[in-house]
Amino acid sequence: MQEEELQKMEKKSAYELFFDIPVGPQHPALKEPAFFKFRVEGERVVGVDVDVSYNHRGIERALEDRNYIQNIYLIERICGICNVAHTLCYAQAVEQLHGKEIPPRANYIRLMIEELARIHSHTLWLGVAAHEIGFDTLFMYVWRDREVVMDLIEMLTGNRVTTAINTIGGVRRDVSDEAKDKVNKGMNILEERLKYYRKVALNDPTVNARCSGVGILKPRDAIKLCAVGPTLRASGVKNDVRRDDPYTLHDEVPFNVITFDTMDVFARVLVRIDETLESVNMIRYCLDHMPNGDVRIKLPLSPPVGEAVSRVEAPRGELIHYARSNGTKNPERYKVRTPTFGNIPSVSEMLTSKSDYEVNIADIPIVLASIDPCFSCTARMEFRDVSKGKTWIWSLKELKAHCKK
Amino acid sequence: MEENEVSEALKNKFGKKILEIEIPKKGEKVAEDMLIPEIMEIKVSKRRVFVTVPIEIYKEVIRYLVEELGFNHVQTMTGLDTGKVIEIMPHLGRGITITVRTRIGKDRPVLSTITDLVPGASLHEREINDLLGVVFEGHPNLTRIIVPEGWPKGVYPLRKDYIPEQPKPIREVS
Amino acid sequence: MNLVKWARLKSPWLLHFNTGACNACDIEVLAALTPRYDLERFGALLKASPRHADVLVVTGPVTRQVKDRLLRVYNQMPDPKFVVAVGTCCISGGVFNGCYNVYPGLDSIIPVDAYIFGCPPKPEAIINGVVALLKKLEAS
Repeated sequence: MQEEELQKMEKKSAYELFFDIPVGPQHPALKEPAFFKFRVEGERVVGVDVDVSYNHRGIERALEDRNYIQNIYLIERICGICNVAHTLCYAQAVEQLHGKEIPPRANYIRLMIEELARIHSHTLWLGVAAHEIGFDTLFMYVWRDREVVMDLIEMLTGNRVTTAINTIGGVRRDVSDEAKDKVNKGMNILEERLKYYRKVALNDPTVNARCSGVGILKPRDAIKLCAVGPTLRASGVKNDVRRDDPYTLHDEVPFNVITFDTMDVFARVLVRIDETLESVNMIRYCLDHMPNGDVRIKLPLSPPVGEAVSRVEAPRGELIHYARSNGTKNPERYKVRTPTFGNIPSVSEMLTSKSDYEVNIADIPIVLASIDPCFSCTARMEFRDVSKGKTWIWSLKELKAHCKK
Repeated sequence: MEENEVSEALKNKFGKKILEIEIPKKGEKVAEDMLIPEIMEIKVSKRRVFVTVPIEIYKEVIRYLVEELGFNHVQTMTGLDTGKVIEIMPHLGRGITITVRTRIGKDRPVLSTITDLVPGASLHEREINDLLGVVFEGHPNLTRIIVPEGWPKGVYPLRKDYIPEQPKPIREVS
Repeated sequence: MNLVKWARLKSPWLLHFNTGACNACDIEVLAALTPRYDLERFGALLKASPRHADVLVVTGPVTRQVKDRLLRVYNQMPDPKFVVAVGTCCISGGVFNGCYNVYPGLDSIIPVDAYIFGCPPKPEAIINGVVALLKKLEAS
């Protein structure tokens, strides 16, 4: 009897090959809850459905109940890793509503902290991506060097992660000359280590094998699906908010927009490492050319009636805030669109096998990590988990339990 | 393209049908040549253009901007409840940001989708559907994306008449 | 102290669960495991499965969507189990208190044994918290 049943099952599975694998909120790969449902055919992934509702905290509604100064702290905690970009975008939007310019020294300090945060975010990503492909040594090395940046950020702003240095009208603290010397020394150490990691990424055979030819996103699809950030630049499209729509001082400080044209995960690794080296140069420029003066102007609590759109190049891509004010102390509407939200359609595209390009289950973790997902940004509402693909989570019993949920 | 070129092109093509074009200039409102009273002010500012259009020509204006002027990147779509109407604003562009604003009534919140022109706008429309209850006609997959499962239908968190309420704890804190 | 208790104290295996946090606490928890702060000298290992873990390290304000999954993970852990709440969001909802999707603190869902303050707490504070939990277990 059992033989017959087994044979029936095999016949059935020959025609109905699709199997949905849920990867639920608790998984060891990404540190955020997100839920992915992969449709697989053997080892090939043919479709993915993303649920980003676990991280929904109702922030946009809460922003309307608090005044503009209290909102700085709420905006900062949309995402701990990109918190500098969020506060910078917020401060710029409110300053546009007021119609005022901030003093030049504040702009230099803002740029320096923004680029330090970019270095911190990219090295964090490099460590996590190395962990995803199993290269734990690189993870430990990179995070040890990341501590150099964390110490500099702590010295300049008072906290390692959520800095709150940007405020409406400028920055909160000034930078002393001893601080500038320390930053210079830190940059020298970092540049040497980053060049070493670039060499490792280019020459190591494991990295090459796991990352080349995986997670391909063609330029035409990237533009159609509105991809942003390093995901877009690794497909050869030369778009960067710092070049197209310059804010703070990006029209004065010289830098290059990094693109690669191999369209795969390897290209994204190289784009991020090179961007970090560009950031080191930009910080050095800031330190050499910083003018003297005030760092903050006083602005009233209620801006005039109007609306403003503010865009910033966060480490993960283009971040846009929209503000509408009705003349009172609380904003009428504040909308935040984070870069990961813009990259989700692209990731669904990358994980779908097509006639000339196959995606295997083993590639899922690194492809997902290659867009540098920050689901807490995405799910100011909710977010879903992506899982790492460890076999324990795919045991049939647990899968069934998941499916019954 | 410069902001003025964009506003001239829109005025020439759609003329009397556009309600308002604004390019805010550091808070000043500069009223330029009004063609007819239906076209509202034009405010000028650095790299931002705000256009207000009626629902009937909303899709045409977006098609013109995406296909002929080349603004094929949708940055985001904002939905806003002003108390009387709901405003939907897609923001387009890479260098200059063009915001196309349209107003729909709360009794019949239906609008046509723009995913056939720009597929990347699909998630933004789903978010507005979840939070404000606007139905986008022609959207391929208008399902829940952001509110938790089990969220009651008909309750839209971003509408002005919604009062936020914290969920109740499920055990006593000792 | 008997052998089993000694074994439990000398190698607490951690399971990390993020219930909708902003990620700042999570990267500090991960930084506590890197060579500079090194939580592994206390025998702590980060495990993948709830069935292998002794200590559940939770970050973030608990959102509605994640509450059921959190309860499920907690029930899957074998006894004796301990819960550590990291960050002010876990303790009281933090800066999100009052939002429509966030519960007022982790102890409104599951019993908590140790609280670590900070937004985010520095890795030294996290190590301090874990050591305090181990001392409390030793004393009991």
